[in-house]
Amino acid sequence: MQTISLKKLFYFEKTPLNLGIAIVTVALLAAFMAGAVAYILHGHHVYNVTRQHPWGLLIAMYVFFVVSSTGLCIISSIGHVFGIPEFQQIGKRAIAGAIITISSGFAVIGLEIGHPMTMLIYNVLTPGLTSAIWWMGTLYGLYLTFICLEFFFLAIKVNHTFSKIFGICGLLVGLAAHSNLGAVFGFLISRPSANGVFYPVYFILSAMITGCYLVFLMYGFRYKMNFPEKVSVMLVKLSKILGMLLAVLIFFEAWKILTALYGDMPERAATILHAIKHPNFWFGELILGMLIPFAIILVSNAKAIKATIYASITGMVGIFFMRYDLVHDTLLYPMTTLKRAEYQVAPSFVEYFPSAAEFAIGFGGIGLALFMYYLADKVFNLDETESAHH
Amino acid sequence: MARYGMALNYKNCINCRACESACKEENGVLLLKDHYRIWVGVKEAEGQFPNISIASQTYHPSQCQHCENAPCQQVCPTNATYYSKDGMVMVDPTKCILCTYCINACPYDARYVDNRTNTVDKCTFCSDTRLANGETTTACQATCPTKVRVFGDLDDPNSEISVLLANKEYRQVKEHLGTKPKLFYIL
Repeated sequence: MQTISLKKLFYFEKTPLNLGIAIVTVALLAAFMAGAVAYILHGHHVYNVTRQHPWGLLIAMYVFFVVSSTGLCIISSIGHVFGIPEFQQIGKRAIAGAIITISSGFAVIGLEIGHPMTMLIYNVLTPGLTSAIWWMGTLYGLYLTFICLEFFFLAIKVNHTFSKIFGICGLLVGLAAHSNLGAVFGFLISRPSANGVFYPVYFILSAMITGCYLVFLMYGFRYKMNFPEKVSVMLVKLSKILGMLLAVLIFFEAWKILTALYGDMPERAATILHAIKHPNFWFGELILGMLIPFAIILVSNAKAIKATIYASITGMVGIFFMRYDLVHDTLLYPMTTLKRAEYQVAPSFVEYFPSAAEFAIGFGGIGLALFMYYLADKVFNLDETESAHH
Repeated sequence: MARYGMALNYKNCINCRACESACKEENGVLLLKDHYRIWVGVKEAEGQFPNISIASQTYHPSQCQHCENAPCQQVCPTNATYYSKDGMVMVDPTKCILCTYCINACPYDARYVDNRTNTVDKCTFCSDTRLANGETTTACQATCPTKVRVFGDLDDPNSEISVLLANKEYRQVKEHLGTKPKLFYIL
C-alpha cells in the first residue's frame, strides 16, 4: 500500500486514451447516480420489467459482473493457487479486479432487489435452503470475504501462505457460488429452455473466458501495448488457454442448441429457435463474443497479443449479450397461452426493452468498476513485487 | 386440517368476469394492468369462416393453482412463500425481498407485484378476507352466476368438491411439471 495524497490520487497522464477513459468513467458514474435517484424516488416503475418479464437488464448486468469476478478469480488461481510460474504476476491485479467487479455487481443488484435490508435479515432468520438464489447470495458473500482476505495478504500485509489458503477458499467457494448462479436459471422447471444441468457448468466455462478477456484488457492498458518479455510470454500462454476454452464453449453451445431443437419439444424448441434467429445471438454472442477472438487466436497460433487485446473488447461486448440473452431468452415464452380478453391479441413471445433508468444503472455499474480499478491501481501496487515470491 | 382446492366446471363459464371483479373488490387488488389474482382465459373458436366450430370456443378461469409441490415455494430465498396449515401457498410480505424469482418460477403466471406493499401478491383463496371470518366460499365462487367454481376441502370425502372429483373426469394445467396443482378442470 502506498501513501497517497488526494492530489496524487486524481493526477494522471493526460494522454488521449486516458482522457477518453476518464470522461467515459465520469459519465457512467453520473448515469449510475441518476438511475439510482430515479429508482429511489419511483421504485420498480422506472424499469421496463413486467409481470410477464420480471427480470431485465439489471439482472443481466449483475450476472455480467459476477461472472467477470469469478473468471478473474479462476484465472488468477492458475499462478497463485496452482503455482504455474508465468501466471503468478497476474495475482494481485486479477484479485483486485475480482473484488471490484463483484462489488459493482452487488451495487447493481442492490438497486434491483426490492428490499435488500429484508434480504440480509431473513436470509439468516428463515433461509430458503431449496433456493438457488439463497445459496448463490450466501456463497458470494463468503467468496467476497475470502478474496478480500486473499488480496490483503497479497498486497497489504504480504504473507504468501495465508494468501494461498484464502485463495484456495475463495476459488472453491467462488466456483460453488457461480454454479449456483447458473442453477438460478437451471432450476426453473417452468422454463424448459433453461431447465437442466447446462447452466451451472456453462457459467464456470464462460467465467473463465471472461476472466481471460479481462486480463488481456487490463494488461493491454497497463503496458500500453509495449509488453516486457515476461508479460508477453504469459499473455501468449493465456491466449492458448483462451483459444481452448472458446473451442469448448462453441462445441458446448452447439450441442445445447441442437438438444433444445431436436424433437421439437413444446416451448423449448420454439424459444431457442426464436433466440438463435435474433442478431443478439448470432452477431452479439457468436461473432463478437466467440468467433472473432477465436479466429485471431487460431490464425496467429496465439501469438498476436495486440490483436487478441482488441478482440477482447469485442469479446466482452459478446459476453454482455450472452448475459442479456440468458435472462431475456429464459423469459420470452409466455406462461399464459390463452387470451385474457376479447380486445387482446393472443399472447406471443414476450417483448422487453430496457428503460433509460435500467441502462443508466446497468452500464453505470461499468463506471463504478472503472473508477474502483483506477483507485486500486493508484493506492496499491498491482504489479508483481519480489516479496510476493517469498 | 383442511386441504383446500377448487374444481372448475369451465365449460359453464360465460366470460362475464364477475369473478375478477369480486376478487378485486374482496381483496383490494389495485386496478392496474399487471395487477390481477384471477383471470378468464379465452380459447378462440377453431376453424375457418364459414366453418367455425362455435362449441370449440371455451373460457378458462385461472389463478394460483396452490400447488402441493410449488416451484415458487422451492425457489424463495427467505421462505416468504410458504404453505399454510390448510395447504395453501401463501406469501408473507414481511419476509419478501422482491427478488421476483417466484414470478419467474411459477408456470402459471399467477404472481404479480403489489404496489402497496412492494412485495409479491397472488390468490390466497380469500383466506384472510373470508375464510378467517368463518365463511366457506371464496369471493369468486360466491359471485359466479353459472356455478363454475366449487371450493372446498379435498381431504373431506363428503365435501362438494370431493364428491365432484370422485364422479367426474378432470384435468390439471401443466401436470407434466410435477407441481401437483389443486385446481381441477372438470371435463
